[in-house]
Amino acid sequence: MIAFCRAIVVALMAVIAATAPAHAQEKTGVKPGFVLRPGTARIVLMRPSIRVGAQSTGGMYEPNADWTDQAKENIGAALAKAQAGLGNSVVGYVEPVGASSAKVAEYQELFGAVASSVIEYQFFKGNRLPTKKRKDQFEWGLGPDVRTLPGLEAADYALFITTEDHFGSTGRKVLQVFAAMARVGVTAGVHKGFAGLVDLRMGELVWLNADMQMGGDVRDAEGADKRVRQLLEGFPGKPVEAPVAVTAVAAAPPIASAH
Amino acid sequence: MRIPMVGLLLATAIGTSALAADKRPPLPTYTQAYTPTTVDERGIWMEADERERAQRDSRSLVKDPALNAYVRGVLCRTVGEDRCRSVRLYIDEVPAFNAFMTPNGAMVVWTGLLLRVRNEAELGAILGHEFGHFELRHSLKDFKSHRAGTDLMAWASILVRNSGDIRYAMVGQMYAFSRDQEREADMTGFQYLARSQYPSSAAADVWEHVMGEADATAIGRRGRAQHKYVAGVFATHPTDLARATYLRAASIEAHDVKPAAVDTHQAAMAKWLPIFLNDQIKLNDFGGSEYLLATLADGTGWTTSLLCARGDLYRERGNPRDLVSAAQFYQEAVGKGDAPPEAYRGLGLALLRSQRVAKGQAALANYLRLKPAATDAALIAKLIS
Repeated sequence: MIAFCRAIVVALMAVIAATAPAHAQEKTGVKPGFVLRPGTARIVLMRPSIRVGAQSTGGMYEPNADWTDQAKENIGAALAKAQAGLGNSVVGYVEPVGASSAKVAEYQELFGAVASSVIEYQFFKGNRLPTKKRKDQFEWGLGPDVRTLPGLEAADYALFITTEDHFGSTGRKVLQVFAAMARVGVTAGVHKGFAGLVDLRMGELVWLNADMQMGGDVRDAEGADKRVRQLLEGFPGKPVEAPVAVTAVAAAPPIASAH
Repeated sequence: MRIPMVGLLLATAIGTSALAADKRPPLPTYTQAYTPTTVDERGIWMEADERERAQRDSRSLVKDPALNAYVRGVLCRTVGEDRCRSVRLYIDEVPAFNAFMTPNGAMVVWTGLLLRVRNEAELGAILGHEFGHFELRHSLKDFKSHRAGTDLMAWASILVRNSGDIRYAMVGQMYAFSRDQEREADMTGFQYLARSQYPSSAAADVWEHVMGEADATAIGRRGRAQHKYVAGVFATHPTDLARATYLRAASIEAHDVKPAAVDTHQAAMAKWLPIFLNDQIKLNDFGGSEYLLATLADGTGWTTSLLCARGDLYRERGNPRDLVSAAQFYQEAVGKGDAPPEAYRGLGLALLRSQRVAKGQAALANYLRLKPAATDAALIAKLIS
């Protein structure tokens, strides 16, 4: 029996080793020379895209409305807490209604497309585009018209946040163990997220942080804090790890406007 | 005393005969403002809500209130006022034959569908089918079928040696499940149609025309026109031929003869026809587009917008003989007296490319005179000078 267990453990270790992320991948990019001095900028948090669900035995995503609601609430609260650490004021974006909502939706999509391109063609060193090969090259943007979005006139930067979690179901985890015994690598769970900061005057992407294997269970408050810390890792302002003043939390404007 | 007794008897007799006559399968039970309760269903509704936001904010959405009211009207007349009331309707400018309904009750109709159906009844047949999917909660069942299938495949790939056959069978089963659902939605949609003011034969008519167009496309692309009755292993839907056949059989059995009503399809589409036709022409599907134009002309005769679209179609293919035909179609359109400035543009370009320079330039000059602010005005002016 012990031998059996040991076999499982050894096999599991082998799987974990085999499925560990490619170390060549970078996680953070900052536009060269960009600095965000604390207390100088007004940052608007765009409607975060948060999806939480389970992963079925076969690997399918099973969206879960309750978990997503919890995550939206927790991440909103965690962001409010973390904003003191960002050293600048962060306010939730008030979505316009009517004709402008289409334009906002387009920019949300555009940011998603640009962010995926950065991950694909810049963060993977071996996969870099010819124009992104030189050291310290980080030129990406949404175009200067992004500042014409209603409600962004007085803002300096827009912060985009996306997280997606598929928690491995019990079936998936059991399958993982059996697969390991058969020397087949099966991963359980998907936890990815990215956060980006866009300069609204120039439309340039000044910072992007993307991680395909994030930590923190977004379904509870502590996990969400951890997730937000990871999402904001390398944020070009004041380091987020700085001690958070309790008063700042109380004074924080509501940014949990996830809907 | 006798008279009421007779009356009662008569009423009973009529009642039972009416009951006996209605052998139609019952409609799904209607629930107002249905709210999902299980984890799975709430999850897929949440996802559908997110997608609906994107659909609502899409640039390709056709917001014209008149066209939306027309499509909603057809839906309501097909499935009934109570059922259609909660449906959010989105008309999306996509030039392909499709409509779908999301699990949370949003209906998306592509403009290619509106262009292809020939009357209200045919549109109602498709909308009824989609509503059937929604009311029978097919997205949820399909989700569960996929999950069960992929779960089994995952286990088989690990526990069974050479599990290829099992996995192939599982995939086949998932697609077969999807086809069963399509058949079920077809028959539910048919029941709505049969109970509505529209003739139920329209359901089969739609698929016959779809096959006609597929043939024309195939022939236009030097392919082989063929229709099979049995769907392939990886087909999500039954074949068009199978659908046309069983829907035709059902309509013969239903034998619902209804008084002909005024059909408003052409009137509702009049304003949008040139735009949707323009989308269609850009698909580079000569055979299919030509078939579509001919079916539209069957109903209305060759109107100005149909002639202009046909001119565009021939001009874009651009063989020397096509340019001659295109010029003729534009000429006919211009001759009707209500041609848009673009007819002169097409005419001029077709003539120029047929080496008839003077006449071509004259037509282009007409275009610029009628539409001086055209986006391509500078380019066209170059061709004249």
